[in-house]
Amino acid sequence: MSSTIEGADRAQGREMNLVTAINHTLRAEMKRDDSVRILGYDVGPLGGVYRVTEGLHEEFGPDRVIDTPLSENGIIGAAVGMAMRGERVIPEIQFMGFFYPAFGQFMYTLVKMHERSAGEIDIPVTVRMPYSGGIQASEYHSESTETYLLHTPGIRVVCPSTPYEAKGVLASSIRSDDPVVFMESKRMYREGTEPVPEEPYTLPLDEARIVESGADVTVVTWGAMLRHAVTAANAVDADVEIVDLRSLAPLDVETILESVKHTGRCVILHEARRTLGLGAEISAVINEYALDHLLAPVKRATGFDVHYPRHQTEAAYMPDSDRAAAAIEAVMAYEF
Amino acid sequence: MSQWAEERPDEDFRRILAPDGSLIGEPPDLDNETLIELYQTLIRTRTFDEKALRLQRTGEISIHARSTGEEATPLGTMAALQPGDWVFPSYRQDAGLLYWGSSMARSFAGLMGAEPETINEHLPVPEDEQPPINVPPIYVPLASNIPNAVGSAMADVLNDRDVVSMAYLGDGSTSEGDFHEGMNFAGVFDAPAVIICQNNQWAISVPAHRQTASETFAIKGQAYGIPSDRVDGNDIFAVYKATKEAVDRARAGDGPTFLECVTYRLVEHNTSDEESVYRTDEMEEYWEERDPIDRFETYLREEALLDDETVESIHDAAREEVQQAVNAAREVPMSDPQRMFDNHLSTETWSQQHQRAELKAEREGRNPFKDFTGDGI
Repeated sequence: MSSTIEGADRAQGREMNLVTAINHTLRAEMKRDDSVRILGYDVGPLGGVYRVTEGLHEEFGPDRVIDTPLSENGIIGAAVGMAMRGERVIPEIQFMGFFYPAFGQFMYTLVKMHERSAGEIDIPVTVRMPYSGGIQASEYHSESTETYLLHTPGIRVVCPSTPYEAKGVLASSIRSDDPVVFMESKRMYREGTEPVPEEPYTLPLDEARIVESGADVTVVTWGAMLRHAVTAANAVDADVEIVDLRSLAPLDVETILESVKHTGRCVILHEARRTLGLGAEISAVINEYALDHLLAPVKRATGFDVHYPRHQTEAAYMPDSDRAAAAIEAVMAYEF
Repeated sequence: MSQWAEERPDEDFRRILAPDGSLIGEPPDLDNETLIELYQTLIRTRTFDEKALRLQRTGEISIHARSTGEEATPLGTMAALQPGDWVFPSYRQDAGLLYWGSSMARSFAGLMGAEPETINEHLPVPEDEQPPINVPPIYVPLASNIPNAVGSAMADVLNDRDVVSMAYLGDGSTSEGDFHEGMNFAGVFDAPAVIICQNNQWAISVPAHRQTASETFAIKGQAYGIPSDRVDGNDIFAVYKATKEAVDRARAGDGPTFLECVTYRLVEHNTSDEESVYRTDEMEEYWEERDPIDRFETYLREEALLDDETVESIHDAAREEVQQAVNAAREVPMSDPQRMFDNHLSTETWSQQHQRAELKAEREGRNPFKDFTGDGI
């Protein structure tokens, strides 16, 4: 199921980091479709606290890039109302850790209006939401609490792992008639660049991709954790297959099962807390549908079940390539 | 803390039609045909509610919230709208929706628990019977409609459209954050939204004075820079006139209005409630004397627009309409359980495909747990 057929030539393009890739895509989609509007606080003249919307207010004006009151629930509620009237809205939640006041509008209207209206009302809303830690921002500015969103049907949750991926996935999200939460890793915002084609392209919203093929063990991961998986894969004495989920909801179960049936081992690497993190669901589907193929128990290399720690202890909390490598080595060494 | 709502219910609001049916102000400019239609809608609504109560008692529907005693508020407010406008209803606004041509049969089918897809399939609304106003599904989580209505109104401003978005909430729901966030956005963006507080003085068992220490609900508009008004919610003339002013203002580009309509929930909160546990008969008697239908009927009889015969025929027609609607709803077959999976996303997901198959197997008496490969049962 992994696919880049809808993508563009990766070698062609301008060097972009995650911020520039998202900014470039927002600009392109706003040019492409007049109904696309950005909603949030600080998204206007400031260009967002991470400058992701930089220059857009100047280029498209205050009717397209709308600074709002400091009110997450109001932002999501207004975005849904605008979407019901034909707008294609991109609300920004400044940090995932500040999304919780918007949970009411998320549950009651964003994810449910389409179903309640028997499919008559579409909610084309892409909620941009920076997640992830590792930037010494402490507590609420560093959380990865996507689990709260994933338990709910009627929403897509996507999380790109590179600037190239971000452009294609964001374009698909904005053009989708479904509500989407688009998770952006703050740690990755300015961490590295890669060539991103200038021309428009989209990537699938419900297909995982195989980043590296391997025969011994599957590592399932997404977003900012991907680079740790790659580092770990190069460090261990095993042939590692890396699955970048790209979409956390819906989950590409087919690709996961296919990979694990092939390798017989699986490590899930995610930044979120362990209990009921997405790793729990992935582990469950492997147990239900691929048990006969397993050569070792599925292991989860994750954050711990604690509130996100302060910066002095943050590094010890964060999963990294060492934790990922240790998990890979453990399942490789396991014997039934 | 003020207990104004119970202690001084008749004060401080606009009233045109007194409880005894006499005019104490200038009535709105409505022709006779419209006046009769408004009266008919009140009777149709009460007849609908009475039938729904009986169907609940016999087990045909599981739950219903009647609007008995409050019908003039949703009716008078929605009657001030124009075709093309948007309404974001909560429950107890049936009178306004029926006025604009919503289908009673579809309502009964919904109360009987049919999935919306099944209702659409078996009770489709013909093109020429579509209500001329736009109404999303009734919002059940209270006040969650307010930010959506304001977003809708913001979209009209951005597109330079002369459309009004109207939303309803009760006295209790003004305590929800959604109300304050929606009101704040409405004020900041000067949105053409008319937000109606249908103050029926009870949130299930909790009285209005436990919701707020404000002297009125209307006064809350001030904090958001939104003009507000307070009317006798059982006086259809006052409700209509105040709403018309608000709607005209919104359409002219002069922004939102918050309108408190003071009424009273004469009956239970819903069919699962027992109101005698928390309130007295005296209050009900007091408010029964202020019933919105009685005073309007008295007025219409005084104006020679109604007599015994026409009243009788309006009641007969309402009973007939309700019975036909119930019959039509009963004709709707039980919803196919597979309908529960419909319309979640625009594409069918892996888990949805597999769970559909599991449900099918379960209902056919096959074991749905025998898929150990992910390839299906």
